[in-house]
Amino acid sequence: MWLVFLKEIKELLRDRKTLFFMIALPILVFPAIFGVVTYVSSKAIQKAESEILDYAIVGAEYAPDLVARIAESEEFNLVTAPQNTDIKQWVKEENADFVLVIPENFSNDVLANGQISLTLYLNDSGLNLVQRRLNEIVDAIEEENQQSAFSTLGLNETQQVALIDPVLVEKVNVADQRENWGEKIGGFIPYLVFMLCLQGAMIPATDLGAGEKERGTLETLLISPIARHKLVLGKFMAIALAGVTSAMVTVGSMAIWGIVLSQGMAIELVADFMGSISGMDFLLIFFMLIPVVAIFASVLLSLSIYARSFKEAQGYMTPLVMFTIVPVIMAMLPGVELKGGWAWVPLTNVALAIKELIKGTMDYVQLIAIFGSTALIAGALIAFSVYWFNQEKVLFR
Amino acid sequence: MIEISRLAKKFKIENPKKLSEQEKQDPRLSGKFFKSVEDVSLSCAAGEVLGLLGPNGAGKTTTLRMLSTALKPEAGSITINGVDVLKNPVVARQKIGFLSGATGLYGRLTGRENIAYFGQLHQMTKTQIDDRIAELADLLDLHSFLDRRCENFSTGMKQKTAIARAVVHKPEVVILDEPTTGLDIMASQTVLNFIRGLKSQGVPVIFSTHHLDEVAELCDRVTVINHGRTQFNDDIAAFRALAPGSLNSAFLAALEQGV
Repeated sequence: MWLVFLKEIKELLRDRKTLFFMIALPILVFPAIFGVVTYVSSKAIQKAESEILDYAIVGAEYAPDLVARIAESEEFNLVTAPQNTDIKQWVKEENADFVLVIPENFSNDVLANGQISLTLYLNDSGLNLVQRRLNEIVDAIEEENQQSAFSTLGLNETQQVALIDPVLVEKVNVADQRENWGEKIGGFIPYLVFMLCLQGAMIPATDLGAGEKERGTLETLLISPIARHKLVLGKFMAIALAGVTSAMVTVGSMAIWGIVLSQGMAIELVADFMGSISGMDFLLIFFMLIPVVAIFASVLLSLSIYARSFKEAQGYMTPLVMFTIVPVIMAMLPGVELKGGWAWVPLTNVALAIKELIKGTMDYVQLIAIFGSTALIAGALIAFSVYWFNQEKVLFR
Repeated sequence: MIEISRLAKKFKIENPKKLSEQEKQDPRLSGKFFKSVEDVSLSCAAGEVLGLLGPNGAGKTTTLRMLSTALKPEAGSITINGVDVLKNPVVARQKIGFLSGATGLYGRLTGRENIAYFGQLHQMTKTQIDDRIAELADLLDLHSFLDRRCENFSTGMKQKTAIARAVVHKPEVVILDEPTTGLDIMASQTVLNFIRGLKSQGVPVIFSTHHLDEVAELCDRVTVINHGRTQFNDDIAAFRALAPGSLNSAFLAALEQGV
């Protein structure tokens, strides 16, 4: 068995294409994607921030103070709108970044005139800072008006605060940081790891089954004096190892580059979160993955040996990805918890258990049941692979 | 000594409606099954070379696959030096060196690694494997490419490596399915010389071929199969006697015998 395993691994390691997809791609591509996205978005924000906005005001005579303050700002540039034009159309045609319409009743006396509403015309579909910049100016005026109204009414500070927000709801989250974040990202991690395992195992699985058939090496291998189950197990282990390696390399690379690139930003949060998950839980997560990978590897091997060629094998494996995605997505849906029926759905229960482990709210007794049932399925599938490898109609199609 | 008697093998046809009119004409088709081999008997003693002849689709490859334990026959018996192949397939495998018709090599391994892998599967020690590879490299003229990866080998290099791989464990009998098909003259001569070498060591060799000149050059016995049945099974002299002067005519005469 180890003989077959070692030979398969040796062959895989010499296959540059497989290695590239398994190792180089996740190591290089993720940082590249991160880098490009960060670069482009920071460029866009920079551009929006440094841009001087063209504006026009209708009804400037009603609020000379506001108009003067806008004019003072270096971030704005006044343009004149032609008389009697359709403002909407004019803004749409990009003659100005925004048009502010001031009503006749504009006044700084809140008590006399009530709420004033300004109308802002702008194209809000893209990234822009119109409202933010304008709010800075309007907020200042708002506060001045509030203050003058308060002093007219003779309210003390407590009354002022109460008037602005009469009832305050204060939230106390009993979930600790770990449970909080675990719930948010805990469903995504098993999804990612499962898919990566499956993808990583797929190329070697194609090669080890259908590849042997296509290259004409299978027959010779079958008549060598090695028990069929050893042959299957050797191949199975090579596929499983490839799947796990690929997933670990990708997750590791994402974690490392994520930390490197988010330096200083949310780093403390990430570190705290990671630190709160015990080594034991990490180990348990890894253990839960073993039967899952075994399921993937045995199914892939069975499909691969049934196929006549690489192409056929890939045709069989594509729907497998879809079948796997469904139970894992289930685990990501809000409201799906490790209770009742869901605890017995294969793959979904493992995904949920991993989520619970990340959250730190796992019932460890249940974990044994889930591990046991998944291992049982894996064992049955491996047995099926061995049976499958003994069928003439599979091997000599 | 190899003895095959009254071997039969049928394959289930998944979808009989899909068969072409021509395929339906084959007498071996019965209901949902295609009787690829119906009644094949042959024997090959130590130091003999047996040529297995027959038109394409006659059942030669199926017969050889059953002999090599890759397929299980429905009926009949196969014995190799007294060992019942059907009852003890794993023991039999150690005695057989088999080269399948469409054989391939692991492209990303070198020729040496390909041969050594099968040596290891036959539980040979490293020294045994090294010695044997050195010996086979001389016999089959492998030295110039033994340590290169197989993916770039020519057909001749591949076939010679595949033969070395098939006999790495010093099998008691050697079975070769069309070993010279597609090879150039030099390469096929190396293969024929190798068979001659086996013969001189007393190893029985069965090989299937379409080249009657190879039969004339090497074979002691000839077996002709057609439509899954043995049509002729005797020594080369009897085969020649079927149609004096030409082996081609003898072959055609052997096919007609059974009709």
